[in-house]
Amino acid sequence: MLYEYEIDYDTRNSYEMGLNEAFWQFLVIPEENDTQELTYWHFENDLDEKNSVSENGLGFKTVQVRSKKELDHIKFNAHFKLTKKEINPFDFDLPLNIEEERKLVDSLDFRVDHEPYLRKTRFTQLLEEHKSIYTFDQKKSIFENLTELNHWAYGHLYFKTGVTDVNTSLDEIIENRHGVCQDFTHLFCAIAKHHGVPARYVSGYLHQGHGFFGDSQMHAWAEAFVPNVGWIGFDPTNNVLANYNHIKVCHGKDYTDCAPLKGVVYTLGKNETEYTVQVKASQQQ
Amino acid sequence: MGTTEDKSIFSSYVKKDGLFDEVFDKNGDVKSVYQKLLDLYGSRTIDDYVNLNNKAKSSFFNQGITFQVYGDKQSQEKIFPFDLFPRIISTDEWEIIEQGAIQRNIALNHFLWDVYHDKKIVKDKVVPIELLSSSPNYLHQMMGIDPPNKIYNHISGTDIIKHSDGNYYVLEDNIRCPSGVSYVICNRTALKRALFGVFNHYKTHSVTNYAENLLHLLETAKPPGVDMPVTVVITPGMFNSAYYEHSYLAKAMGVELVEGRDLFVENDFVYMKTTQGPVRVDVVYRRIDDLFLDPMEFSPDSALGVPGIFAAYRKGNVTLANAPGTGVADDKAIYTYMPEIIKYYLDEEPILKNVHTYHCSRPKELQYVLDNIKDLVIKPVDEAGGYGISIGNRLTKEEIERVKSEVKANPRKYVAQPIMSLSVHPTYIDQKESFEQRHVDLRTFTVLGKDEQFVLKGGLTRVALKEGNLIVNSSQGGGSKDTWVLKQ
Repeated sequence: MLYEYEIDYDTRNSYEMGLNEAFWQFLVIPEENDTQELTYWHFENDLDEKNSVSENGLGFKTVQVRSKKELDHIKFNAHFKLTKKEINPFDFDLPLNIEEERKLVDSLDFRVDHEPYLRKTRFTQLLEEHKSIYTFDQKKSIFENLTELNHWAYGHLYFKTGVTDVNTSLDEIIENRHGVCQDFTHLFCAIAKHHGVPARYVSGYLHQGHGFFGDSQMHAWAEAFVPNVGWIGFDPTNNVLANYNHIKVCHGKDYTDCAPLKGVVYTLGKNETEYTVQVKASQQQ
Repeated sequence: MGTTEDKSIFSSYVKKDGLFDEVFDKNGDVKSVYQKLLDLYGSRTIDDYVNLNNKAKSSFFNQGITFQVYGDKQSQEKIFPFDLFPRIISTDEWEIIEQGAIQRNIALNHFLWDVYHDKKIVKDKVVPIELLSSSPNYLHQMMGIDPPNKIYNHISGTDIIKHSDGNYYVLEDNIRCPSGVSYVICNRTALKRALFGVFNHYKTHSVTNYAENLLHLLETAKPPGVDMPVTVVITPGMFNSAYYEHSYLAKAMGVELVEGRDLFVENDFVYMKTTQGPVRVDVVYRRIDDLFLDPMEFSPDSALGVPGIFAAYRKGNVTLANAPGTGVADDKAIYTYMPEIIKYYLDEEPILKNVHTYHCSRPKELQYVLDNIKDLVIKPVDEAGGYGISIGNRLTKEEIERVKSEVKANPRKYVAQPIMSLSVHPTYIDQKESFEQRHVDLRTFTVLGKDEQFVLKGGLTRVALKEGNLIVNSSQGGGSKDTWVLKQ
């Protein structure tokens, strides 16, 4: 089945003291992959500056805006149309031999090939006392363990906005048990990595209307690498596998690689940033 | 009293036992390469030398040849201490150094290509994966990127010492932004000016053509399709300890010296702001560390870099020298694998030796280090400039305990080496107005270009000015000497 989506990303950043030189980079363009095809895109800013498409260090498309004018804010809008294919996330054979699978994951070649997504980062490093917070069942396959981890993370944290921000550390999140999608995702990745399974942070859009968490903002979920299958998306905020309502923008080691907006502004004083996301399913075929 | 003999320049020079003196052999006789120099100085008194040295010093000051020391309460610029008595390296010895430095840096370049592509050396269990994955300088963004001409470490600073056994050892590889080359050139200029009579008695290789050769090799790495590349030197700014060098090199190469804010990126091309409008930049000799290069990719709070420059680099529209990500190979823990790395890629025996190194990350070696800390030098793996080094036999009891607990808490962060006895060289000591033995090392500069490479025939002889001190870095109060490499 094919789904058609229209996505709007709107942001407004204002600068109390004003500025006369700035550079912004938006990481908001949906990725093109086996299940996603971008059919239309349009960018607009209210500064009358060029929107240039570039790529970030991991190869995902970005939009860059540079301004040398005196200004106190920027409004930026990105509009996308996209078709998304529904897939059956369970459409693969589980390994016959669980021991063999574990052996493969523990092998040097596997650890070297997947090094970037096994690397512990600031947001995916478990403290010593948290390492036993969740253990993998060695009698089960990796996929089963990941599914159970997804379920566990969903239950361990309570979805609550406004109590964490982009700088909240993983141990605070584990202790306080509150968070938003990025916290669920970091927790999932940290535990998967700790058990030798490559995991990465995914930033994207979630089509709502199905009672999912993650409203009017960008969403985050995880992808973990299952041997002989590949990367599979897990959404621990909603206790589901990523599917046709998950529209991927990019992935990275953690949030730092995926921040939707990065900017360099030469100014003193406060700045405020606000953004909204709207995802509409325009048609189903 | 007061006879002229007593006043000869080495009249009060004390040769300590057990130290390898660069000028005098075991019997106290002058080595052949220095003979002519001593003959020429022989007719002079120490007072003549004092006069001459003072003149040279004021000339340094007038030219503004200075550097800065971090961590001083009042961060201040200092003259780079310098004396007019040169170090001389014979043709034969230089050949070993030159071939050894080239071998080593070519091997390092292979290593960098490998760890950012197939990672064969790790899969073949020569270098442990943990060393890479725990290094903040192992850049995910460089995976699979092919730098122009496959060169990462365009400019490398290899620190070499001569041990009391008479062999050369490499102490450190600096392949991020090695500095010091400007002092090599200034030392030579000052020495030639003060002592042209002496200098002309020797056939010494020139060092003053370095900038020209560097520019030539940097330009061989220009992006495809560019005929006449525009090259710039980017500096973190005037508060950086090597700012003098950045400005010197830019001037000597005849290119612009810029800071991050002087450049901008548009459509993945890099431009320099000029009074005549934007000028496209093709090659950037960058003296800013990786993590500050581009706030879009690395440290987000850095105001030193250029937003978007990494995307331009990734597209091949600008060349950065050195390439981002070289830092993973100048980690002191990687250093310990250099003999294996050279064998692995070049199938050759290392020409220059490595100092034996203990990895505190390995439990057995950690225990040895903790038990023998008095005989070891403890170094953090990721600091440059001699910061954070502890020398076991110079520590008080409390200091030893402090270092031990620090190492135990963070073993991956430290390596340890036996205390090497660096060779000594007669060095003019300002306060005493006489010559004394001081420990020296040699920082060599290797430049790799497309199908060509060179080692600057000279280098920076760094002197530990405090008596008995082994740390020669200028940031630790070291001085320097002009270094003569003799022609056949």
